[in-house]
Amino acid sequence: MDFEFFINNEPRKISLEKKEDGYHISDGEKTMKADIQPISPNLLSLLIDGRSYRIYMAKDKDKKYIFIEGQQFVVQEPGREARGFHGGEEKSQEGKLLITAPMPGKVIKIDVAERQEVRKNQTLAVVEAMKMENEIKSSVEGFVKKIFVSAGELVDSEKPLIELEAKK
Amino acid sequence: MFKKILIANRGEIAVRIIKACREMGISTVAVYSDVDRRSLHVQLADEAVPIGPAPAIESYLNMDRLIAATRTTGAEAIHPGYGFLAENSDFVLRCEKEGIVFIGPNSKALALVGDKVRARQTMEKADVPIIPGMKSIPKDLSEYEAAAKKLGYPVMIKASAGGGGKGMRIIYEGQELRPGLEAGRREAKSAFGDESVYLEKYIEEPRHVEFQVLADNYGNAVHLFERECSIQRRHQKIVEESPSQALDTKLRTKMGETAKKVVAAAGYNNAGTVEFLLDKSKNFFFLEVNARLQVEHPVTELCTGVDLVHQQIRIAAGEKLSFGQADVAQRGHALECRIYAEDPANNFLPSSGKILFLKEPKGPGVRHDCGIYSGWEVPSYYDPFLAKLIVWAENRESACRRMLAALNDYAILGISTSIGFLKDIVSHPEFRAGRTNTGFIKNHFENWRERDKGGDALKLALAAAAFDSLNSGPSGKRAVGEAKKTAVSPWQTLGHWRLGEG
Repeated sequence: MDFEFFINNEPRKISLEKKEDGYHISDGEKTMKADIQPISPNLLSLLIDGRSYRIYMAKDKDKKYIFIEGQQFVVQEPGREARGFHGGEEKSQEGKLLITAPMPGKVIKIDVAERQEVRKNQTLAVVEAMKMENEIKSSVEGFVKKIFVSAGELVDSEKPLIELEAKK
Repeated sequence: MFKKILIANRGEIAVRIIKACREMGISTVAVYSDVDRRSLHVQLADEAVPIGPAPAIESYLNMDRLIAATRTTGAEAIHPGYGFLAENSDFVLRCEKEGIVFIGPNSKALALVGDKVRARQTMEKADVPIIPGMKSIPKDLSEYEAAAKKLGYPVMIKASAGGGGKGMRIIYEGQELRPGLEAGRREAKSAFGDESVYLEKYIEEPRHVEFQVLADNYGNAVHLFERECSIQRRHQKIVEESPSQALDTKLRTKMGETAKKVVAAAGYNNAGTVEFLLDKSKNFFFLEVNARLQVEHPVTELCTGVDLVHQQIRIAAGEKLSFGQADVAQRGHALECRIYAEDPANNFLPSSGKILFLKEPKGPGVRHDCGIYSGWEVPSYYDPFLAKLIVWAENRESACRRMLAALNDYAILGISTSIGFLKDIVSHPEFRAGRTNTGFIKNHFENWRERDKGGDALKLALAAAAFDSLNSGPSGKRAVGEAKKTAVSPWQTLGHWRLGEG
C-alpha cells in the first residue's frame, strides 16, 4: 500500500507491502525487505538483511514522533497538516502577515505603534516565555497594520499579536 | 541527623535530593505548584504539600507558604536546590529565626556572596584577583554610561542578585546600553526579585573554570577540583566537564587554594562553587560564588567519588568534614550535557508540551538526572530545563565517545529538545581538541541547523509510520492523493520569537 506523509511540511511517499517473506519497503528507487516485530506500543524492531534497527514511536493526534538511530522525525498524516496558527482571512489577503504567539507567554513591551513603518529585523515586541525574554523581529519591510495585545498581557499559544503589511 | 527534610524546589534537582535523603534514611517532603501535581518529585517524595498557583512568585518563591509547609509536616531542614530561593539571604535569615535548618550557607555569608558587588569588594581586599568593573550599584543611569566609557566597550551587564544568564547582557556600544539595562533589570527583577545590575569589563572568549568547595561549620574547607563550563549559550552553561583541559597541576593547585581563600574571606559554609574566568594568557579572575548546589555538580561527584548532596546534609546537620584536602583526588574524566525543552530549528525557542515517550540512555558510566517521564506535560511557567546526562570514563576522548553513544540512545518524543545540538557540540573537532572558550557556540554554531544525517533513517521512519497506519485501523489510513497543499504559517515566514542576545 502507498502512503504519503509530511516531514517538515514536505510530502514524502513510501510503499509498504506485507508479503510472505516479510514487509517490502519501497521509496520508488530501492526496495528493502524487512522483518518488522512490534515489541511494545512504542517500539518496533526491524531486521533488514540481518541489520538490526530499533524504532521508537509515539503518537499525538495526526503526528507520529519517530526515533531511529539517534535521529528524530515528526511524521504528519496528510490532510490535517494545514492546522495553522491563524484564521484564513488574514492569509488570503496579499502582503499581510499575522504574528501569533507560538507558546504561552507574557508581553513585556510593544516597541511599535499601529501604522508605524518598520524595517526588516526591527524589534516589534518583547515577550517573556519560560523566564527568558524573546524579541520578536520583523522579517519584512513594511508597516504595522494592527496590534492585538498590550504590554503586561498574558497570551496563549496561537493568540494573534501583531499584523504587518509588507511594502509592495 | 535530620529525620525529615523539605525540598523547596521542583524538577530534576528535587528528584536528586529526594534520592540522597532516601539513601541516608531521611524522609522527604515535596512542595508543588498547581501545575506540578503530576511532576516526578511529587510522586517520589514521602509527602507532598501544595504551595499555590503556577507562577513561581506565588509558589516556589513564596516564603510564607514554604515555612508553613515545613511547620505542618514537621520537617527540620529545608534543601533549596538551585534557583528559586536557593540564594536568597532573606529566606535563610527567616529559616534561622524560625529554627529551621537551611541546607546551604549561613545568611551572612550568603548575603555577602549573593551581593555580587559586595563580594567583589571583599575579594579584592582578600587579595583575590577580580574582573575590572563597578564596585557599587549606581542610582543613576548616567553613572552606568560613565562607567562603561571608563571600562571601554564591550562591557557586561550583570544582575547583582543572581546568575544563570538571567539579567545578563553583553553591550558592544553605547546605544545598546540603555535598552540593555532596562531588559537586564526586568529579567533580574522577575528571576530574583531584585533589579540591581552592574557593569564589568567584558573579557573576550575566556574559559569558565569553577572550583567546587565544601566547608563545614568549624572552619574546615576542601576543594574538590574544577569544572570547566565554557560551552555556554545565552550565558547559560550547556556542556560541562572535569578536569579542564586548560589547567596543569600547578595552576589547578593555585586556583583551588584561591577558592578556599574566597570561602574563608566570606565566612562561607556548606557546598559552594567559586567561579573564575581564565583568560587566554591563563590569568584567572574571581567571578562569583555560586552559593548553592550547582546544576553541574554530578561532574565533580563522578570524578571525585564524593556525593555532594550527602555532604551538604551532613554539614548542615553539624557534622565535621570527614576528609581533608590530601584525601581527595581527581580520577578519569566526566562530561555533562544539559537537556532543554527548546527547538534548535526555531532559534532555540522554548518548547512546552507533552512528553509522549521517554527512553533514557543507560550503560556503564552513564548517569541521567531528570524530573521527566513518559506522559508528563512540560509546563511553560518555569525554566525549560528537563534533564542532564552525565558520563564518566577513563579519559576525555572516551568520555566524549560515551556521551555521543548515550545521546544517540536518548529519545524524548513529543517535544523539541536540544539533544541534536549537543551531539554536534560533542562531535565538533575543536571541542574534541579541548579548545573551548565561552565564544565556542558563537564561533562554531552561529547558524546551526540540524543536518540530515543521510542513510536509511528517513526511509525507515516513514516505513514505521506506514506500519503503524496499517495496523491502527481505518482512521490511520489515508490514500495518497488526498493530501492538500500545505499552508505556510505566517510564523514561519515572519520569523520566530528571537531570543534576546544583548
